[in-house]
Amino acid sequence: MTEAAPIDAATTASSGRRLSAGTQTYLYVSMLIIAGIVIIPLLTTALGGFKTLGELRGNPFGLPAEWQWSNYGNILTSQRYWMQMGNSLLIAGLTVFLTLLFASMAAFTFAHVKFFGSDFLLNYFLIGLMFPAATAILPLFIRIRDLGLLDTYWGVVLPQVAFGLGMSILLFRNYFKNLPPELFDAAFVDGAGYLRFFWHISLPLSRPIIATVGIISFVGSWNSYILPLIMLNSESKYPWPLGIMVYRGEFSTDWQLILAFITLTILPTVIVFFAAQKHIIAGLTAGAVK
Amino acid sequence: MAGLELRNLEKSYGAVSVIEDINLTVADGEFVALVGPSGCGKSTILRMVAGLEEITGGDILIGDRVVNDLTPRERNIAMVFQSYALYPHMSVYRNLSFNLELAGKPKAEIERRVIQAARMLELEPLLERKPSQLSGGQRQRVAMGRAVVRDPSVFLFDEPLSNLDAKLRVQMRGEIKALHKKVGVTSIYVTHDQVEAMTLADRVVVLNRGVIQQSGSPMELYRRPANLFVAGFIGSPAMNFVDAVMQDGLARSAEGTDFAFAAGQKLAEGQAVVVGVRPEHLLVGGEGTAITGQISFVEPTGGQTFVTLDVHGRPVTVVISGEDDIALDGALTVRAAPHHVYVFDAASGERVSEN
Repeated sequence: MTEAAPIDAATTASSGRRLSAGTQTYLYVSMLIIAGIVIIPLLTTALGGFKTLGELRGNPFGLPAEWQWSNYGNILTSQRYWMQMGNSLLIAGLTVFLTLLFASMAAFTFAHVKFFGSDFLLNYFLIGLMFPAATAILPLFIRIRDLGLLDTYWGVVLPQVAFGLGMSILLFRNYFKNLPPELFDAAFVDGAGYLRFFWHISLPLSRPIIATVGIISFVGSWNSYILPLIMLNSESKYPWPLGIMVYRGEFSTDWQLILAFITLTILPTVIVFFAAQKHIIAGLTAGAVK
Repeated sequence: MAGLELRNLEKSYGAVSVIEDINLTVADGEFVALVGPSGCGKSTILRMVAGLEEITGGDILIGDRVVNDLTPRERNIAMVFQSYALYPHMSVYRNLSFNLELAGKPKAEIERRVIQAARMLELEPLLERKPSQLSGGQRQRVAMGRAVVRDPSVFLFDEPLSNLDAKLRVQMRGEIKALHKKVGVTSIYVTHDQVEAMTLADRVVVLNRGVIQQSGSPMELYRRPANLFVAGFIGSPAMNFVDAVMQDGLARSAEGTDFAFAAGQKLAEGQAVVVGVRPEHLLVGGEGTAITGQISFVEPTGGQTFVTLDVHGRPVTVVISGEDDIALDGALTVRAAPHHVYVFDAASGERVSEN
């Protein structure tokens, strides 16, 4: 039986050597600082939502003297919050699904099928990496208007998918290319064609990259502001970044409520991240070859 | 089941020709080993037979059917890969059943055949496991099971044992031989290990640079190598060679050693030849041409001891019995009987002696 050796956190993967005490201290201190940079604003935001406005001004970083649960309670019981969450989820869900679908299929073709112009086509897709959606916002607006998709979810989803494809195809293609080629031979001998190989072998082995691309496009869509701002007019279709602006307009002085609202809108991304994280496991192909 | 025939098979990548005009017939149920050094084209031939590599010229026939343009499935072949190529996300059961599922077989039949193959290869207790939970030998057996389960016309083995350690390799060799005996399917086995080829195969085909050097039974290749390449490749330790020229019907080396041998054809005076003698045919005592050298090192392996002599600056390997009580230092004289002396034409490499 081959059993994976337990991996010590303080050993390097390549050499297996134990790091010196100095290097370890340096690593831990660096990690603590980075973690602090990430966590402190999040924590301040979440705790700020539990304070009164006066306390927030006087003591922005400390724990609240009295926990104001009602700040969160009012938002959670408001219809607007759930509507905007629903819009954001729908837009992000469609974006993730379509990005994964198109990117994985295109990347599989680029990874396994050599055809006339394939390199050119791949480079064409990758050019998309250089242009954020904001740079093309005017022509995008005109195109979406011409397609009659203004003020629809698709008017936001389709450009997001299109602009996400470059990076997603690149990630998928590299992953597919690194799958052992013998698996392809074996599946071909077993009677699978390209489609079945894609569906039965490549995709099930690609959970780490599916999770990675999924998170990137989910978070991108979740935080997207400019596209929905340009494409959507009805407040009933607003995702949360637009909703928060409306909310801020209404409660412009009540920062504790805005902080509570922001905290509640971050939650789904955190949940999605932790749910997908367990799939990002190295060595999923262990045992395939050798 | 069916035989296999390769007719004028060719393969080239652009201007580079890797397989040249291969002709080979494998009888129904025969076990043929393709053996040769790395890069000799043996795996390419196997992949062409499997349908994983396009052919540049010639024909491949399985049974009486030309299969050049058929997919691997339509050829009804099964292949065991060097790296096993098991599907890591599937259980052993699904690894075995996958090709039957793709073929659209009924569930009951799939189960019957998988269980039958698993029983044959003692995989039954492992059916629910994933490949990562198996040892090297078990993975190899699953790879074979995957081939057995589909009941193919031809079995193709692509160096299936090279990832295993020495002990397991010997054990698996036995299992492959037993498996072939049981199912009797036409098999082609590619390896660079001549011992593996000789022990397993009914017939061994030696390849070099995309050309068949010789095809024959293991002992035929050992006893009557067609040329220098085969003589040097088959047999372990490898045959000793020395350059010589013909003089008075004997092959005389540069150091003046005259080798008597059974000449199969008339050789011209002064013709350049290469003399070859297998280490196990250089006997302490006995008759024939005497060769004396200083012992440079000794490698005992138990039953046999390999002794390397320094003969005029050239290493000569001798195999003696491990039981022989010989002082293994200083000088040693060994003799090569004429019927054990192989002589090859230096220019063409063809054997010219009658062994």
